[in-house]
Amino acid sequence: MMQLAESKYDTEISPASIESADNFLASSVHDMKNSVTLLLSGLEKTLGSPEAGKLSTYSELIQVNHEAKRIHNQLVQLLAVYKLGQKIYPFDPQYICLADFLSALNDQYAGLLRMHDIALEINADPDLYWYFDEDLVSGVIGNAINNAMRYTRDRIVIGAEESDKKLVLRIEDNGNGYPCQFIRQQDNLAQGVNFHEGNTGLGFYFSTLVARMHRNHGCAGELELQNGGSLGGACFILRLP
Amino acid sequence: MIAHTLTVSKPELDLSGKRILIVDDYNEMRTVLRGILYNCNADPKKIEMADNGNQAIALLKEVKFDIVLCDFILKSGKNGQQVLEQAKHQSLIDSSCLWIMISAEKTMEAVSGAAEYKPDAFILKPITEGNLRSRLLKILAKKEVFTEIYAAMKQQDYSRAMRLCDKRLASHKAYMIDLLRIKCDLLLSTGEYEAAQKLLGRILAERNIPWAKVALAKILLKKSDPDAAKDLLKETIEAFPTYIEAQDMLAQTLQTLGDLEEAAAVLERAVKLSPNSVTRQKMLGDTAMKIGKLTDAELAFRKCISLGENSILKTADAYLGLAKVCGTNKNLLEAMKALDQLGKNFSPDEVGLKTLAVKGAIYHQNGDTEKARKIADEIGQAVDAEDFRSGSGDALEIARLLMVAGDKDKAIQLLQSEIKCNPESAVLLRDVAEIFDQAGMGEQGNQLIETSRQEAMLLMNRGVLLISKGQYEEAVDAMREANAAMPTNTRVLLNLAYAIITYIQKNGPSPELIEEARSSLAAANQLAPGEPRFIRLMASLNELTSAA
Repeated sequence: MMQLAESKYDTEISPASIESADNFLASSVHDMKNSVTLLLSGLEKTLGSPEAGKLSTYSELIQVNHEAKRIHNQLVQLLAVYKLGQKIYPFDPQYICLADFLSALNDQYAGLLRMHDIALEINADPDLYWYFDEDLVSGVIGNAINNAMRYTRDRIVIGAEESDKKLVLRIEDNGNGYPCQFIRQQDNLAQGVNFHEGNTGLGFYFSTLVARMHRNHGCAGELELQNGGSLGGACFILRLP
Repeated sequence: MIAHTLTVSKPELDLSGKRILIVDDYNEMRTVLRGILYNCNADPKKIEMADNGNQAIALLKEVKFDIVLCDFILKSGKNGQQVLEQAKHQSLIDSSCLWIMISAEKTMEAVSGAAEYKPDAFILKPITEGNLRSRLLKILAKKEVFTEIYAAMKQQDYSRAMRLCDKRLASHKAYMIDLLRIKCDLLLSTGEYEAAQKLLGRILAERNIPWAKVALAKILLKKSDPDAAKDLLKETIEAFPTYIEAQDMLAQTLQTLGDLEEAAAVLERAVKLSPNSVTRQKMLGDTAMKIGKLTDAELAFRKCISLGENSILKTADAYLGLAKVCGTNKNLLEAMKALDQLGKNFSPDEVGLKTLAVKGAIYHQNGDTEKARKIADEIGQAVDAEDFRSGSGDALEIARLLMVAGDKDKAIQLLQSEIKCNPESAVLLRDVAEIFDQAGMGEQGNQLIETSRQEAMLLMNRGVLLISKGQYEEAVDAMREANAAMPTNTRVLLNLAYAIITYIQKNGPSPELIEEARSSLAAANQLAPGEPRFIRLMASLNELTSAA
């Protein structure tokens, strides 16, 4: 559903916006995102019906739903990257309860995790609150969960704790970990587009931007990739001041 | 730190008995939402649905809803925000009503926008049953903590609101920052600037929060330190470029400082970020017009008018502004068209005299001195006959016309009494000076302004001076005199009430005095709603009467 313009001034396309490929790309992404939203609500309805579970293609449907969600998330992140660059993103940090925040993310992935026999564990003190933009950070953690689901053997642990006046969010799995050059070059990952390995770099780029958006008294958020962690696999760390 | 592993069990959402309104232009979406609500035990007979804003308003007028789910974008007529604004403006919903705005993406309005017209939550699409359920649970729990506080604020019972706030702060850590924000607002409302400043200092030491910075800037403005407010707001905008409140506040500060060029530039940036505010567009139009940027002003006024078409916040000033811009551009036809439109949208009682004055001035500007003179005479008579009250904002337009096409002395008189009613407004003083300037009497005008201002200040403060000397009866008399001379001066009205209340405290009450204090407070509040001093004086008066 396109956002419908409400006055003639909204519908007028200024010469500047025709010339600018950026705006053209952004409005196309916007349109695609809205289409995928419709697609998702159709799928949600289908999957929610009592007959859905009896379908022979049920697990394929779940996978299709997941892919559509992934596209939606990526389009949302593309738009956010564009808006952050233009300084027009409605950045909206709030005090968030980490336990609630992570359990909502858990709900989103529950069906898929069950299908792939992956156990997701969340460790967060119910009294832990932190100040951040919920939508942006949930995009970052969503990316990390998607990644972990692809490479883990069967376990993912998400932990949230305060350390050294920062919030530390860890997403760990028991897979084989990140490739060595990933760890070595992590400062450049944000720029790394590697079509060969199917890594567009969008996820890391978005996550880095989001980390840096969060500042407090001269201190900015940061990402770190490690191998090892509590499960011996990959460990994605987001620190927010 | 001890980590807790989350368990899956969650409290169930039970919507039985709740009256719910769903507003969405897509039939499919309405059905999906209703389906989810059914699954949460909602009573089918208590769910109403609307596919456009007007229908929603009609339902809101009939039923007191407990929950409203409203799409932000509605195809025709009002959008979701405008429906909410009208519902709040006309008190169609109670403080306890939960309003959820649904939108395809996070909008600027979700982040900033006037607090009194904010929904309880924004939910992003796509909506799934799981996320709507958990969001509703959370928002309902939060609402419960705040409803009583908002209800107390609505009844202007600020001390009760404050007590409730402190009580909740002790028991609800989860909502600490929201409660602190309300507490700051309350302290600002009651004029306890020192306490507010201290609280904000504590919040900001912990974390740079944009609303806290803006609140601090507001206090600096109240304390007549606009330069410090300006610096603070610029710093805030640097750190939070999309926090529009900071930009609106900066524009206002720059206007106080007389830097209209910069104010217009700030507003231009703000409307690019968030173009759908009637108030902001009007402010931009006014400012751009004052610095002669007529094209920008015209664009802003037109946008303001088109936004206002579906909005309860629509303003006659946008039509008048557009007419004035077109008049200055020698486009008489468009100017008259704007005034016609104004006449169709507002009643003559509200805007008649002002509209006529602007019309006259436009005729004058466009060389039709005959018509201008005729209108000026007509208005001159109306001003005499109707016992014209200054301080209404109409006086400036009327004086502008009379100055060039009518009774100049009457114009000067009007401007003088306008200043006497509001001698502390830098913006008004500049506007008046500009009118004198245009009439070619700049120097003389400045003297007139200064004399009127000083006279008013003297009269205003006489009562307080007498009170400090313990001459209570004389103080009351002095303020009565001042009130007779400047009937719409808010400070005089408040000082009169203050003098009477002090007199009563010393000499005991009489029904006449209490009534006099009460009515002058009511008059002050009508002129400048919600002034901290009004709130404090009202509280002392209520204390006196309940004691008596």
